[in-house]
Amino acid sequence: MAKQPSTQAYDFSLKAAGDRALRNAAALGTAFHFDVVTCVMIAVLLVTGYLVLPPLYSVVQTSLFTTRLTGEIDQFTLQYYRNLLSELRVLGPLLNTLYFSVGASLLATLLGGAVAWIVTRTDAPLRGLGYFTAFASFGTPFILYTIGWLLLLGKAGPINSWLKAWLDQSGPVIDVYSLPGMIFIESLLWSPFVFLMLAAAFRSMDPSLEEASAVCGARIWQTMRRVSLRLMLPAFFSVVLLIFIRSFESFEIPALVGLPGDIRVLTTSIYLDAQKLPPQYGNAGAFSVLLMFIVAATLYVYFRITREGDRFHTVTGKAYRPAVIHLGRWRYIAASGLFLYSLVLLLLPFLIILWASLLPFYIQPSFEALDKFTLKNYITALHFPKITDSIKNSILLGLGSASAVMVLTLFASWLLVRTKIRGRWLLDLLTTLPLLFPGIVMGLAILRFYLFVPIPVYGTLWILWIAFVTRYIPYGIRYTHSGLLQLHKELEEASYVSGASWSRSMRRIVLPLITPSFLGGWIFIFLLSAKELSMSVLLVSPQTPVVSVAIFELWENAQVGELAAFGVIWSAILVSVAIVYYLITRRYGVQQS
Amino acid sequence: MEEIALMNRADRQKILLEGAKKEGKISWYTTLIVDQVVRPVKEAFEKEYPFLQVEFFRGNAERLVQKMFAEYQAKRYDVDIIDGTVSPTMVRRANLLQRFYSPALAEYPAELKDSQGYWGSTNLYFFATGYNTRMVKPNEVPKTYEDLLNPRWKGQMMWSTSRGSGAPIMIGTILNTMGPEAGKAYLQKLKAQNIAKSTASNRQILDLTIAGEYPLSLHIFNHHAYISKSAGAPVDWQPHEPVTATIQTIALTKNTPHPHAAMLLLDFVMSEKGQKVFQQSNYLPAHPKVPAKQADLKPGGGRFKRAYYIDPDVQYDKGNDWVEYFNNVFMK
Repeated sequence: MAKQPSTQAYDFSLKAAGDRALRNAAALGTAFHFDVVTCVMIAVLLVTGYLVLPPLYSVVQTSLFTTRLTGEIDQFTLQYYRNLLSELRVLGPLLNTLYFSVGASLLATLLGGAVAWIVTRTDAPLRGLGYFTAFASFGTPFILYTIGWLLLLGKAGPINSWLKAWLDQSGPVIDVYSLPGMIFIESLLWSPFVFLMLAAAFRSMDPSLEEASAVCGARIWQTMRRVSLRLMLPAFFSVVLLIFIRSFESFEIPALVGLPGDIRVLTTSIYLDAQKLPPQYGNAGAFSVLLMFIVAATLYVYFRITREGDRFHTVTGKAYRPAVIHLGRWRYIAASGLFLYSLVLLLLPFLIILWASLLPFYIQPSFEALDKFTLKNYITALHFPKITDSIKNSILLGLGSASAVMVLTLFASWLLVRTKIRGRWLLDLLTTLPLLFPGIVMGLAILRFYLFVPIPVYGTLWILWIAFVTRYIPYGIRYTHSGLLQLHKELEEASYVSGASWSRSMRRIVLPLITPSFLGGWIFIFLLSAKELSMSVLLVSPQTPVVSVAIFELWENAQVGELAAFGVIWSAILVSVAIVYYLITRRYGVQQS
Repeated sequence: MEEIALMNRADRQKILLEGAKKEGKISWYTTLIVDQVVRPVKEAFEKEYPFLQVEFFRGNAERLVQKMFAEYQAKRYDVDIIDGTVSPTMVRRANLLQRFYSPALAEYPAELKDSQGYWGSTNLYFFATGYNTRMVKPNEVPKTYEDLLNPRWKGQMMWSTSRGSGAPIMIGTILNTMGPEAGKAYLQKLKAQNIAKSTASNRQILDLTIAGEYPLSLHIFNHHAYISKSAGAPVDWQPHEPVTATIQTIALTKNTPHPHAAMLLLDFVMSEKGQKVFQQSNYLPAHPKVPAKQADLKPGGGRFKRAYYIDPDVQYDKGNDWVEYFNNVFMK
């Protein structure tokens, strides 16, 4: 990073011009501009605080008090922290958790990053497939996706039978109920997130730095390693951190994939312990408080790294559309990589789910099963109570939460990246915290809060909307933050110098330039909220059914075929939404390459 | 409220009808499956009482109860009726149930109703070992608990971690029916069999057995195996006497907003007529005179004689110990 004399010199004149302009602008309109910033800061802090503080209070309280049967706070206790300590003292689960989280975050970043690079920066064929795969796989309900992989990789599954025949072995070749199995499925689940985020970042990269490198005689991979990848550092850090935290605190994959193979992680015992009655979420609360400290420390380091944010500005006032890298013969290899990714991430699990949905009971893929094909499961799924209401509500919630989160986090990120206003650390912390709240504790906190506060949202879609917006702020902020970090402030300064107001500069300069990150985050949150379960199960009312809860009901009670049929229908709807979105955004340059 | 709930006089039905007409609806928090049984019950009931509308909210026991408690703390009384194998007991412990009288209760044996009138029951669940008929030969099928210790099954069995229907309940039955000493000795031997655990539901675990992942699934619902078998799946169930059974109880909440209508619904679901709806939905009716649609799913139907009914209070009080035992012995 430090050794880029040529580019620094190149930037210098523009930067100096920008600084001069800013001084002029400051002389003209300091008071006005700073007033706006303060107002925005206050507004963003108020909204974020309102959303985040009640659940935060609840989480901390849950970790420090026992509750009575009816949920009232009872006695102060440090028991839950003691439990956590004794849990941490046993090395096995802690190490498994670390292997799992590090493995999943690195593999997901590697997969998603590689695909993002091929799709946005090269001339490989089949690039559209990258987007389609990401959207479509993210639209698949989480539980179903995992079940799909378990059926594929299970002891009696098709992959093991082929491998057994091929390698002439008697026992199963792959043991999916293992640490590698967990890492594999978890990282596949997160790779679309990485892809969407890094694709946005790659696309907004300053080509001049790469060109400079090329001019100096560097090969493609040297340029990548020395220039491109280093410029992407904040974006990489963002995704790795986020996936690390999510894997660290997740219990779905550890429970469904790890537990049968006796792989225990830290959350396993918390989950099993939470089955006791009356329900106590203290252990879960203490665990998330611990995570908060770890994340606060990590964010501090992150802040130190990106403090000299100028180093990561990749969008400057120059023509910035990144150059397409011509891969030559390698383009076909890249294309087959894309195809393989699409096959593994989307096609295989989807096919096995489709297969299961067409059978009266699950049969391993074979020709003899073909004559059992039936549409019975689809008929059952379509008769699911209030299915049309559920679909409507889920889509409405997705649209509402995605839009609200992205607008809110765009302002928040702008304050974090662009201003030196005091209290930014608070904003950064507030916008990251919801990531660490256990879903059930957060759901309960919101439920109680709106039962007592005289705002009539209980039993309506609004309470779900509020919960979703709160939950997904951290994701929105990752997208807008890394997007803005790349945007050189000289562009805005130029706008102020030319006499534009703050809101005009935001509208005409910042918003259009950050569109890729903004829309990437938007679709991600839309798809994520379609899957949200842990809060929804508590907050839905008979009048406001949502799809994820319906799928959960089926998961707990229905046969695998019925669950699969419902999942296929829902995935088809989400994929159609994603395709419409893709077509619309193409017009705004999100998908030009 | 109490008056209406406990009313036992000749013109009871008339008073309930009059009151119910004014109330117009009932709110039912249920753990039953909407698609399979709640809807048919709702339809049959509304046909009987066209002026009433049944609204339901479905969730698992823990969430239902939490929702109700949170609402009660905010003095928001939405719910009339709550059901589940353990949820009514939780509500009762919080002192938020209303005792009731229903003429239908007289027909039920003592273990299927509360002695003080806090709950009745709608249907029963019986647990058995499910097995894949392609992988397990008829002469190999483990008939008794002892048979499960055969080395042949090491690493070949799976069970659910669910408190209400999985391994903890099976542990409870073993400790209670064999006695603590013999029970613990047996469970230590069972541990050596390396049973795979999953947080998936009993239904999903049975599906994994059908798919051939694990030849045996422990402690699954016998009617699930029957339904799949009827569809042609290579699966069957084997009871181990005494067969573990749990009771789907149903109860009235303390501040029920529609007491008359709620009593009509309680009367209905426990009556022979209402129980036939459960029967037709392939559920196992609690009413002694209403057999299961497939009679051998209930005790005395031909496949097993004795059932060990886990009392909801015992399930609540001892459940934590069983979860703890499972975590300490099987999770280490």
